[in-house]
Amino acid sequence: MEFELDEEQRMLRRTVRETLAKVRALPEDRRWETYLELGWLEAPPLELALILEELGYTADPTPFLATATWFAPLTGRLPEGSGTAVFDGTGRYVLDADRADEVALLTPDGVTVVPGARLAAERVAVLDPNLHVAHVDASALAVGVPDLALTGLAATAVGACRRILDLVLEHVKQRTQFGQPLGSFQAVKHKAADMHVAVERARALTHFSALTIAEDDPRRTEAAHMAKAAAGECQRLVFRHGLQLFGAMGFTWENELQLHLKRAQVCDLLLGTASAHRKALLTA
Amino acid sequence: MKLADDHEVEEFRARFSAFLDAHLPAEAEARERSRSSAHVPDWARRWQRTLFDHGWLLPGQPPEHGGQGATLPQQLAHLEELARRRIYHSFNPQGLGIIAASLLTFGTEEQKRRWAVPILRAEITAALGMSEPEAGSDLASLRTRAVLDGDTFTVNGQKIWTSGAHDADVLLAFVRTDPEAPKHRGISALLIPTATEGVVRRPFGSIAAEDDLDFNEVFFTDVRVPRENLVGPLGEGWRVANGSLGHERTLLWLSYAERLEDLVRDAADVGAGQEWYATLRMDLTALRLLGYRQLAPDRDPAEISVLKLLGSEAVQSASLHALEAHGAEALPHPARTGPYHHLNNEVFVSSWFERYARSFAGTIAGGTSEIQRNIIAERILGLPR
Repeated sequence: MEFELDEEQRMLRRTVRETLAKVRALPEDRRWETYLELGWLEAPPLELALILEELGYTADPTPFLATATWFAPLTGRLPEGSGTAVFDGTGRYVLDADRADEVALLTPDGVTVVPGARLAAERVAVLDPNLHVAHVDASALAVGVPDLALTGLAATAVGACRRILDLVLEHVKQRTQFGQPLGSFQAVKHKAADMHVAVERARALTHFSALTIAEDDPRRTEAAHMAKAAAGECQRLVFRHGLQLFGAMGFTWENELQLHLKRAQVCDLLLGTASAHRKALLTA
Repeated sequence: MKLADDHEVEEFRARFSAFLDAHLPAEAEARERSRSSAHVPDWARRWQRTLFDHGWLLPGQPPEHGGQGATLPQQLAHLEELARRRIYHSFNPQGLGIIAASLLTFGTEEQKRRWAVPILRAEITAALGMSEPEAGSDLASLRTRAVLDGDTFTVNGQKIWTSGAHDADVLLAFVRTDPEAPKHRGISALLIPTATEGVVRRPFGSIAAEDDLDFNEVFFTDVRVPRENLVGPLGEGWRVANGSLGHERTLLWLSYAERLEDLVRDAADVGAGQEWYATLRMDLTALRLLGYRQLAPDRDPAEISVLKLLGSEAVQSASLHALEAHGAEALPHPARTGPYHHLNNEVFVSSWFERYARSFAGTIAGGTSEIQRNIIAERILGLPR
């Protein structure tokens, strides 16, 4: 197999990065419009994973993740506006349920789509203030999570972890103690190296998962569990080392670091933690 | 990116597979435990020669050196096919993959004819003299001296951890030829036949058993080596060393992937249902994916450190989990945690304790895990030295 991005995929990634740098200061709905205009919602799985990684990197606040990887794979189409999906019988912790134009419900009889306004959704305050998570009343629904939803969360977490690592690297190169940059100390280097390896491992499994979905490979469910579990493991390590290496400065509200730590953590907690997906992998 | 293998790689794999079906001697599949990394049994000498004669020994080399100019993905398929069938293509991997390969890159025509080709044909075996008591990861600190007088070097000093030296016919030794030059500059590479007067080899046992001999101390006392045995220019040994290891490192990750593959299979009886077993499968998949990615042109060579670190530590952690999972019940069981036994055929299907202990070869040899982390931090992440 070939496991390197091709020229078009690399170009897409460059475009996404440039676009996100430009829309950073815009309000949420204007960003959302930009993504719609650029056709990002229609991207195939691997390209979608690349886009989501960059959105994760910038702690994007739009309903892109839920719409592209929750609603669309379940209904086979894009919503009019934004969309999300309810995967479990309790309807708890549903991404963007409080603001989705359409909600896909997975029932024993199949998938039903209802206008978001028809469901009573109650937004829950979660640790990442930029993500919308809500409870909806959707009792008596079947369980089943599309592979793309897991992969989407994994890609987003990988992006957040990369951002955390970049912020840490910037910090330890500039900050000096004992007359030397922090980054010259071996104890610091070793933590940074471990973070890098964890990101590379999770990203490889995420790309693999997206690739198996794109080619409808029989390993796709197994690959999705691996991606979600690896992203969760990566998140734990990067959170722990990242905050530690940033020191007190990372422990403040003003520092951007907190946004990304929370995005990564929420991505692990939604739709099953690393541990849950390792267990799922054993029976997949 | 795509999941399917390239047509040319698949065709190459099929040709090699057909060759193995037709030529493989019965002994090749017997999983004989190697007595040292330079000891080659008689049947294996004939087998290596057959591979060489048919262009299947080092397929990446040109035909005159026992290859067929294969691409990197084809070379990977070749090694995968050998691993899948659990076949040794050489008992002297350092001689083949490092020493002969270096001679083909840096050696004179005479050195290729006299040393490299006989190593490839398994007529002689070779060992690599790099580490010294005070120069391991810090290879530039090596002290073994070679003084050139006329056309002869006189070598004095000591090497250690020299794998397979007691069974080897020749050593490729790195020696200091200019004590005044900066550390990296004054090193040269010399071929030293082990039968030369003044060369003393002392093998010593590994952690597995007193009679599990691969490590050697090698002492040089006034050893006279002709100038024609100098590999590469005088004082350019550092370049030869890096080139030699570079050769081996490109596909080094594959050996960890193979060990992880063995662990997935062999640990299934105790691992199924345990989360560490899921982690093992994830590590294996991630390592393979990152390894495939490394086959693409223009990858940063420093990324090989990511593969080595991930692979060696995954093997270690999975072996430890498998060892623990058997509990006390396994203590006397030869295939579980029982003591080393030379009749226990092959190293990587040996007891769990032995596998765990041997996994430290991966985190210590060829640059420790600590050195790999430094490389990642400095060369990939740009942290200051």
